[in-house]
Amino acid sequence: MNVELTELTRRFGHTQAVAGVTLEAGPGVFGLLGPNGAGKTSLLRMMATVLPPTAGRLRLLGRDPGGFGPRREIRRRLGYLPQNLGYYPGFTVADFVEYFALLKDMPPRRVPRAVAAAIEHVGLGDRARAKLRTLSGGMLRRAGIAQAIVNEPELLLLDEPTAGLDPEQRVAFRALLREFGQRSTVIVSTHLVEDVGVACTEVALMDAGRLVFHGTPGELVTRGEGSGAAGDAPLERGYSAVLAAARSGAAARS
Amino acid sequence: MTGNELAGGYPDAGPGPADVDLDRVWLGVAAQVWRRRPGPVERVTGRLLRSPGLGRALVTTPSLLFGWLIATVVILLAGIGATVSTGEPWVALLAPAVAAAGIAYAYGPGIDQAWELSQSMAVSDRMVLLVRALAVFGLNAALGMAASAASGAAAAVTFGWLVPMTAVCALALAAATVTRSPTVGVVAGAAGWVIALLAGQAAEGQVTAAVTDSVFVVPYLAFAACCGAVVWLATRIPRGTP
Repeated sequence: MNVELTELTRRFGHTQAVAGVTLEAGPGVFGLLGPNGAGKTSLLRMMATVLPPTAGRLRLLGRDPGGFGPRREIRRRLGYLPQNLGYYPGFTVADFVEYFALLKDMPPRRVPRAVAAAIEHVGLGDRARAKLRTLSGGMLRRAGIAQAIVNEPELLLLDEPTAGLDPEQRVAFRALLREFGQRSTVIVSTHLVEDVGVACTEVALMDAGRLVFHGTPGELVTRGEGSGAAGDAPLERGYSAVLAAARSGAAARS
Repeated sequence: MTGNELAGGYPDAGPGPADVDLDRVWLGVAAQVWRRRPGPVERVTGRLLRSPGLGRALVTTPSLLFGWLIATVVILLAGIGATVSTGEPWVALLAPAVAAAGIAYAYGPGIDQAWELSQSMAVSDRMVLLVRALAVFGLNAALGMAASAASGAAAAVTFGWLVPMTAVCALALAAATVTRSPTVGVVAGAAGWVIALLAGQAAEGQVTAAVTDSVFVVPYLAFAACCGAVVWLATRIPRGTP
């Protein structure tokens, strides 16, 4: 398993952002769904080793990120697209991707070709020499995806990757997800249910920091059948049904 | 598209080479055209630090870029002029504040727009910050000493500000790191230095006491160590498993 989380918890003061999540994920595309504030981003940041868990156990690519050596090894094999991608306005797309390829400790001789491949992969070949400050939001997102995939990561973590992409780009992006999912573990946090239905082999649904569903997109669809839950598509109805059940259960418990 | 497919569209072109993958060829060309060729400084630092990533981080530090360095030199030249014309050691009084501003803008957590991304990199963000801060400090110290010597100041003044500069830079770095704002770092460094100068004047009756009186050396170093500890804590490496 590339990702093993056991009772993973993260608190910010009195707020519990992630509450005892247990999860395993191997190669494939894993969709992380949930409403705003469900804890998706905190969970992803813990998996990206940028946020320490408050409690619980985390193993990534068979290693414990608690030690310096294993953490560095994980980071070499990791691709991460944060929700808020900061960027250097004066860098070109190629400079930006190359900079992070070097910080990922890629062998320098491999870097130029890997950068070119990543930029072409996200369809930014014609803007490779453009400064980041001149790009649209969707193009910036694609530059962020390019830096995430430049090292051919074994674990690819993407937080709201399709935000700002137009429909054509989203279709291309889903193809990219499927391609990477064949050899890596790809975890995509999103609130766009249709992205999950098309690209993901597994899906987890979070609410109030807890994991309230884990299964295939087909199983999520089944949850919505005959439930009378709101939604225009079968997956949306499954999403709504699971959330409603989780919240009524939580209300009953309290 | 392969070479054969391309040639197939142009009957007069004749058969294309059998095994040419144009995508592959293009990637090779793009890799050479798009790559940023490292300059001598980046090559040497990358080799010395045994990390091309750190070499690149160093040459992209805002306060080591050409414009910033020119501004630093201009300020120090003005300090030389003021020292020569007034007899007051202006270079020694200016240099620590200039260095503190450079340190605050050394692309630590305060200014790095891609800080979260940087935190997930194999070359640690802390190491990047350390290398950048040391480089900015070293360069500012060299420029300041050259300016101080050029202004004809006494040896005690020429070298006396190096220790207070360390403390002021550490304060600027700590403030920028904790508040995540380089501006706060600059203000804190400058304010700290002004307070040190005024304290020296109050204690010894002259503004240069802050750089010439050896009584202050230990407090400066202790203060710098405390600020260093603050930076260490503020950038501590996340624990994976408690």
